[in-house]
Amino acid sequence: MNQTHNKKDVIIVGTGIAGSLIAKLLSDHVFDVAKGKMIHRADAGKSDSIKEISILMYEAGLEAGLELDSVSSMTTYNEYIRTFYREEAKVPNSPYPNLKQAPSPNVLDMEHIVQPFPDKKGYLVQFGPMPFASDAIRVGGGTTLHWLGTTPRMLPNDFKLTEKYGITIHKPDSKEKTPINWPIDYEELRPYYEMAEFEIGVSGDVSRQEYPIDENMEKYYGNYVFPMEEIPQSYMDHKIIEGLKGTSVKLSSGEIPLMMVPSPQGRNSIPNPKYGKTKIIKAEPKESGYKLVLDSSEKEEYKALGSVWNPYMGERCEGNASCVPICPVQAKYNALKTLKKALYKLNDHENLKRNPYMQIQAQSVVYRLSVDQNDKDKISKVHLRRYTSKEKTDFIEESIDTSDAIVILAANAFENPKILLNSPYTTQNGVKTAANSSDQVGRNLMDHMVMLTWGLFPEPVYPYRGPGSTTNISSFRDGNFRGEFSAWISPLDNWGWGWPAFSPGSDVAYFISQENLFGAELREALTNRLSKQVLFHFEIEQLPNPNNRVTINDQYMDVLGIPRPVIHYELTEYEMKAMEHAKHASDQMFKRLGIKDFTKYTAADMNSVMYNGVRYSYNGAGHIVGTHRMGSTAEDSVTNSYCKAWDHPNLYIVGAGNMTTLGTSNPTLTLSAFTIRSVESILADLEIQLKK
Amino acid sequence: MNIINKILNVDDYYFDVFMSISEALAGFTVNELQSTGLAETYYTYVLKSLEAATFVEFLTVSKNILENSSGEEELKKAIQSEIIGNAGMNEIAGKVITMWYLGTWEGSYINDLSYKEGLVWNLMHSHPPGAKQPGYKSWNIKPVNSNS
Repeated sequence: MNQTHNKKDVIIVGTGIAGSLIAKLLSDHVFDVAKGKMIHRADAGKSDSIKEISILMYEAGLEAGLELDSVSSMTTYNEYIRTFYREEAKVPNSPYPNLKQAPSPNVLDMEHIVQPFPDKKGYLVQFGPMPFASDAIRVGGGTTLHWLGTTPRMLPNDFKLTEKYGITIHKPDSKEKTPINWPIDYEELRPYYEMAEFEIGVSGDVSRQEYPIDENMEKYYGNYVFPMEEIPQSYMDHKIIEGLKGTSVKLSSGEIPLMMVPSPQGRNSIPNPKYGKTKIIKAEPKESGYKLVLDSSEKEEYKALGSVWNPYMGERCEGNASCVPICPVQAKYNALKTLKKALYKLNDHENLKRNPYMQIQAQSVVYRLSVDQNDKDKISKVHLRRYTSKEKTDFIEESIDTSDAIVILAANAFENPKILLNSPYTTQNGVKTAANSSDQVGRNLMDHMVMLTWGLFPEPVYPYRGPGSTTNISSFRDGNFRGEFSAWISPLDNWGWGWPAFSPGSDVAYFISQENLFGAELREALTNRLSKQVLFHFEIEQLPNPNNRVTINDQYMDVLGIPRPVIHYELTEYEMKAMEHAKHASDQMFKRLGIKDFTKYTAADMNSVMYNGVRYSYNGAGHIVGTHRMGSTAEDSVTNSYCKAWDHPNLYIVGAGNMTTLGTSNPTLTLSAFTIRSVESILADLEIQLKK
Repeated sequence: MNIINKILNVDDYYFDVFMSISEALAGFTVNELQSTGLAETYYTYVLKSLEAATFVEFLTVSKNILENSSGEEELKKAIQSEIIGNAGMNEIAGKVITMWYLGTWEGSYINDLSYKEGLVWNLMHSHPPGAKQPGYKSWNIKPVNSNS
């Protein structure tokens, strides 16, 4: 590197989608010294009076995962794919390095919890009563490496559950109730959704989206098209749609008409000419502060962005059917794409050149922040442990002075609260932990309860092909029933019974060992069973509950001596009642389609509850959300709507942890939208900082 | 049925028995099995993994069945009684079928190729996830080779 600065303007912890988006947007802007304003690179020209923003990112995962030059990134990624081929249990984390120095929660570590003894297997310490069922991965690019890529937006009512449905929740350790509205609404977030959809590269058709909302779709989307055309729905989707079209499901709240909607997705299809030229996200200076806009100033047509090592690979989804855990060609978006754009900029000759003002330091596990009480409670230091090799657990203790820098915690929703809770400081009123004057850090841990139902379609529908899911049933995403029980979204799954029944392996085993079949009969039985398998999901919204939480405890440390996340987690009747209704909905749809139900929930399932005498089981959705919620006041939330910590003037905390409620959409798009919005506030802070 | 091919080396009399009994057990032709590119790998893998005497017994029983059965039906019946009906033989047969179908032996993939060439994907007109991808939009229609 030809230029390094000891003093950094911005420190970002984590290279997942939130950290990468901020790094990309900040590195696209420079400080115009003459005007005293941040301006986009494209508008800076060759002015001598600009100052670059210096950025340092920390990543807990291995160096190799962050080497983004073409050869190194291809080598590393191919290693992931080879690992995936050979792993027996092809769970979301299976392709990626399982590091002892930066361990990841893994679904294979989940066990039944016999209270009061926690499940200590793996990384999380789970006190229960229910095990938290989702995982994440600490690797360059973060959990977007194994996300499915489904990108619905939240619905307007998701942002105002109290106002609309009168839902309130308990204050921490109190009987008192408190509202749970977001500090921003859908309308406010809409332009940032468009920016997120641009950056992720969303494929979809606005005219085919249909939701149970009060607003008309024109108001919901405005005059808008997605960057790329809709991802084709599966053959199976067509068969199910044919059978359900125009029908409704009867719940206690009344008849609910079925809407089968092609899902918007963060995977490459064909760029839509109507989307127009490619765009840039740029900050427009206001009298005070900044407004980000999606500007159409570039000359090129919008192009799908392929793999990090070769833009011509993965320009279209080619149907690998392995989106989770890994897209071999990176037609599915992952945060490494955004990170590479932050790290490499076009020079005068339109060649990509390494950005000397940005540095990423891998194998660096940030574990604590220092607070300077003599300077407005600024974050004055970030502490980390840097391990030297994959094999060894010895480490170098490092800290960086951040008193003149902006600190952005962009680790995931387990890691952000873990770091904050591990950052105590003594005040006149006793010991506090960073950003936690509201006592909301680590609380309100949420996930979607994924209740699965599966069966055999009366004719072959040929599953196990295409992206994980291409259609969802949106009918239950909103409605008056939300006063009583959770809303849900129902994706149709294109991969047979793989998830609930470990198919096709379990089918092979069953017909061989239970039915003693061989030869032509075995072949026929398997063909028959496997080509008719259908799987419905019911992704059930969980409300924020202050008792569902991440804490730390000095009895549970990882090999670097850093606290492991300690989880307390349970379900309330609100979610269980939704499972009951979702099962009713499933039964009615299966009956109408002639699907033979093979759904089976047993006490041996990891997450299983009895409700009204009936057993329901669920899985995690990988939607780890809510542990540093945003809000309107410092009393009831950790950050404001720009993800800025109420308690510290130079600290931002970003990611899914900011979500006030979960809604029924996959959270990545929404967290991307409000993370992009947070850059407006970061730029304003940087302006003040750089003027000094 | 005639057993004429000797593969690996001249002494390895049983390779062809292995392939022929695999055909009868898995329900895929020897040609289909050969086209995985894994026939010899699998044979040597089983040789290494099972006690030699056990595998030889399995192959000897198989050889007798194959040589003494004059048609499909007879072969099927013989397999039923002498392999499927015999606990020890049945266990080996199940492992061999699973190896062809999934590419695994006792739960582990034999190599990268064995994952990709699992025949279970062929019979459902699909492909192993993450490999042999069929191309954009292919999932939107009935599989081209479904013949139905």
